[in-house]
Amino acid sequence: MSTPSAKSMVRSPFVLIVGVVLTWFIAAFLVWPNLNVLIATFFPDGSFSGRAAEKLFSSQRAMKSLGNSFLLALALSVTVNVVGIFIVLVTHYFRIRGSRILFLGYASTFIYGGIVLAAGYKFIYGDKGIVTSLLVKVFPTMDPAWFSGFFAVLVVMTFATTTNHMLFVANALKGVDYQTIEAAKNLGASDWTVLRRVVLPMLKPTLFAVTILSFLTGLGALSAPQVLGGRDFQTITPMILTFTNSPTSRDLAALLAVILGAATILMLAVMSRLEKGGTYFSVSKVSSALQKQQITGPLANAAVHGIAYLLFAVYTLPVVLIVVYSFADGAAIQTGEISLGSLTLDNYARVLTQPSGLRPFIISVVYSALAAIIAVGGLLFVARLLQKYKNWVTTVFEYLLHIPWILPSALLALGLIISYDHPNPLVGGAVLTGTTVILLIAFVTVKIPFTLRMLKASFASVNSSLEEAAAIMGAKTLYVFRRILLPLVLPVAAAIAALNFNSMLDDYDTAIFLAHPLVQPLGLVIKANTDGAEGVVGVANTFVYTVLLMVITGLTMYLVYGRTSRRRITQNHPRGVPAAPVPGSSLADSSGNVSDDKEPAATVR
Amino acid sequence: MIRLDNIEVTFGDFTAIPNLELHVRPGEFFTLLGPSGCGKTTALRTLAGFIEPSRGTVQVDGKNVTKLPSDKRQVGMVFQNYALFPSMSVWENIAFGLRVRKEKSAESDRLVRDIARRVELSDEQLHKNVAELSGGQQQRVAVARALVLKPKILLLDEPLSNLDAKLRHQLRQQLKDLQSEFGITTVYVTHDQDEALAMSDRVAVFNKGVVEQVGTPQSIYDQAATEFVCKFIGDSSALTPEFMAEVNRSSGAGLSPAANSYLRVEKASLTPPADGGTAVGLSGKVVSRTYHGLHSRYVVRSHGAEIRLLVKEDGGVHPEAGTATTLYVQPGHILQYHPDSGKALDRQDQAVSLP
Repeated sequence: MSTPSAKSMVRSPFVLIVGVVLTWFIAAFLVWPNLNVLIATFFPDGSFSGRAAEKLFSSQRAMKSLGNSFLLALALSVTVNVVGIFIVLVTHYFRIRGSRILFLGYASTFIYGGIVLAAGYKFIYGDKGIVTSLLVKVFPTMDPAWFSGFFAVLVVMTFATTTNHMLFVANALKGVDYQTIEAAKNLGASDWTVLRRVVLPMLKPTLFAVTILSFLTGLGALSAPQVLGGRDFQTITPMILTFTNSPTSRDLAALLAVILGAATILMLAVMSRLEKGGTYFSVSKVSSALQKQQITGPLANAAVHGIAYLLFAVYTLPVVLIVVYSFADGAAIQTGEISLGSLTLDNYARVLTQPSGLRPFIISVVYSALAAIIAVGGLLFVARLLQKYKNWVTTVFEYLLHIPWILPSALLALGLIISYDHPNPLVGGAVLTGTTVILLIAFVTVKIPFTLRMLKASFASVNSSLEEAAAIMGAKTLYVFRRILLPLVLPVAAAIAALNFNSMLDDYDTAIFLAHPLVQPLGLVIKANTDGAEGVVGVANTFVYTVLLMVITGLTMYLVYGRTSRRRITQNHPRGVPAAPVPGSSLADSSGNVSDDKEPAATVR
Repeated sequence: MIRLDNIEVTFGDFTAIPNLELHVRPGEFFTLLGPSGCGKTTALRTLAGFIEPSRGTVQVDGKNVTKLPSDKRQVGMVFQNYALFPSMSVWENIAFGLRVRKEKSAESDRLVRDIARRVELSDEQLHKNVAELSGGQQQRVAVARALVLKPKILLLDEPLSNLDAKLRHQLRQQLKDLQSEFGITTVYVTHDQDEALAMSDRVAVFNKGVVEQVGTPQSIYDQAATEFVCKFIGDSSALTPEFMAEVNRSSGAGLSPAANSYLRVEKASLTPPADGGTAVGLSGKVVSRTYHGLHSRYVVRSHGAEIRLLVKEDGGVHPEAGTATTLYVQPGHILQYHPDSGKALDRQDQAVSLP
């Protein structure tokens, strides 16, 4: 297929309409808000001012939070790698008894994350938590607040963000050519040497990528420090939130957001730089599938098994307890003591029938569904055009659409707040801050990069002769799009919409900045419950919400990944369903490959 | 040098190799040839120590290595895709085994440079990344990596299968030259009969886990021991009982008409042999002629059989499709197999008919 020039694009009315709408959207919601944050920080009154920086340096709390964020980011880069590599090796590389079961346990973070996971850990290990209550009975002298501060945040985030390893590192490991392992063994290498000198070096680019993702997750952490950090351990994003809420310190919030954004961009630049150097993947065309390795030393084997099952317990205990206690009455939740008699369906009945319980759930479902449909529906046209026309105009558009990918959501949210808290001609003179629309806009915006990349890849995989055949028979652009391309891309589009829906259902990071005070989505209600807003009932409700979310997420995951992978085997489906994308490409990878994204891994921020 | 005795290999319920006997002589280039899934790679991997046989013994240089791990057997291996470590330089790849053995670094360097020179890799190439090398250079690295440890035998698992045709021809020669230079006993696996015939001292033809024939390239081609070998190697036409009866009638050869009989395409001719010989002429009709430049392929129907044959395009006049012609066949060239067992029939007249 030829690649038409920028000029030829202008001749098509279809392109023109999409182009105008897209330009407005990008200008109004991607460029202007973020530019506005910079202006608010450095040019508050029209001329350059360093006042925000001065305020930052003189605020001990803000400086401490900066330090804490970088400390958390660094520590998390190490701990997530240690745990993540271990669980990937245990489930995919070594021959371990019961590795299927272990995998299911480790994969529990696929179905719950973010505020839900942080809340779950607090309700179990926190000062009034179930496990803590039980432990205090056994050891009356112990500190009930043992699970808080830096340690608690690090532990929770470590176990919550190994999802990236399970997705990306496991996938990279599957790509290792087994012949190289056999070759190394044939040359006399021990298990350990094979792993250290042959296998791990081949995983290097993926490990770089997930390390940087972990670093960024730690840097932008919001819910875990808020719920578990306590007074002593606050990080940048919670601080941005605090400063945003008082108009006098908005500039300070903006500056912190800018620092966060700059650090993110820097890390992503480092990542794409590192990926360009060196060959790590197999140079061969034919490779053989990895076979699991028996650990030869009996002692080492026993130790690895032991640690694997210990980690399994750590991963699954919160899930099991949440499910069990979601059926328990208030007394059982408070004391931690549970009997068969105290298990009822009352909590479910209350959440699903009483308006106060059901309302946040419905709000979240409506927001997520709308945002998912708008993002996928709108980008279907955009992705098609970006894939068809490859010239400098579309390249610029593509870069701009990746803005939400390189900027932390706190910065995006803050930008929207300060740009639309007064009448703005970009949106027809309306005030958006404080309305229900602004959160929807943010949801759509945040989902753009992931959706765009997946849709583009899906369009790219459609055989271009189909389109040419239709065109030869006289079909017009829109007709070809509607009758030929759309039906082929639709299954992928539906899968992307489902994943988007999932990830927004329990959103907290965006909603906390932008939600209407009376239309509070689920994430905010769960967070309020961790502060004891509705007492034991709130805890019980959160457990029920969590179980429902896990069921919905699990079901979607099954529909998207479980079924398609089977269908692909039987029908040899060539299309790019968003199967675990491999990290390792710069942000505007114009080749349209399904490559890395922070999604759909649920992360704790 | 290598003895596989009474080997059985099973994968779960599936028996890949029921009972394998193979003896390879010192310094020999020995090829395991067969269609995909015939067990040749399984046999090689059993020899390499990647598969443990459920029965039987493997001996290398008089020593029983059946229970030894791969690296203790003194076998070097070149993998199908070379299995070069992508994260290491050429030097590091070749030195890998030496470093695992904790060889002194000065000594390692000397050995690596020595072997590199012998496989014609330059010092500059030693410091390149393996991805920067061409297919031929990668192959030399793989060979050097295996040979630097001074193995007693070298195993090659279809090392040419993922290359394009031209490079395959070139590397085939390179590999054969390296083998004769080092004089190392080599076991080579391939499904390409052309490769097997051109490179090997001896060939074992595999079918469904069983060795059908072991012999020199010429003997497996000219005296294919079984119907499978006859059909797998080379190109031949199936003959009908009427055709056989006609051959017997005109030559008095006494071949069995009931046997499954074949004739190689290059053994039939449309002109009588220059020296007369034992050839008999049979009447036939040209069914088709396909021009290939160097030669033409003919299909001639004669006494119920469709005989395929090659005619060299040397400028002479050759019959067109539809014309009647005479087909010349030497009875001694006809390969005959028992219809049930597939085994070759004894040829009493062999001595007479073969020059």
